[in-house]
Amino acid sequence: MKSVKKTIVVKNKQGLHARPAALFVQIANKFDSQITVSREGETVNGKSIMGILTLGATKNSEIIVEAVGRDCQEAILELEKIVSNNE
Amino acid sequence: MKIMDFLSSKAITANIKSTDKNSVIKELVDLLINSQEVDKKHKNKLIELLKNREALGSTAIGQGVGIPHAKSDCVNKLIAAIGISKRGVDFESLDGELVYIFFLLLAPQDSAGPHLKALARISRLLKDKYFRDNLKSAEDEKAILKIIQQEDEKKV
Repeated sequence: MKSVKKTIVVKNKQGLHARPAALFVQIANKFDSQITVSREGETVNGKSIMGILTLGATKNSEIIVEAVGRDCQEAILELEKIVSNNE
Repeated sequence: MKIMDFLSSKAITANIKSTDKNSVIKELVDLLINSQEVDKKHKNKLIELLKNREALGSTAIGQGVGIPHAKSDCVNKLIAAIGISKRGVDFESLDGELVYIFFLLLAPQDSAGPHLKALARISRLLKDKYFRDNLKSAEDEKAILKIIQQEDEKKV
């Protein structure tokens, strides 16, 4: 199975709070790939808002996004856009 | 961060009566006002802010959980209220499910850090189905308080 793993720096002004988390999950769910997000050794399901919020990822912190599946490349590209958006 | 660091023990209800989104928001704000955590004069302002936030996208994050929240200088510290609806409310949740557990969160402006931490803490608890089921079936406010205090004890 194809997979991509990428470390991304969170650029959202207030970190991965509820709105960007919701957006992230919305995008993640468009893809067939399994998506996980890790921070400080904790890994959560990238298709669950509650999961993402659990990480409490502040601005400028690093998260690791991993996608496993046939559309993993596209998934990572799209997800990176959300996390590195500084609005 | 403990839940009881920001949840007012008086701002808890085991029986949300409202059956639609706007009324639930109002009922939760009333809960904070009645617990004297928030001055009554801020009521309309807070309701408006919370509704505006919902307009950007529902805060019902799935699995029967809603976390309406807003930042405002109507409060000088992070505060929360919790309400359980027995019958469930259509809160335009992202997974289409009714919402049974509501956490209302208010934070002062410029408090991104604590706000994010509180969201993380709440989410960590509510991810646990056992915890959600316990809350949903809690008989009264006392029982809810006890469930949350027990969780707070587990992790410092």
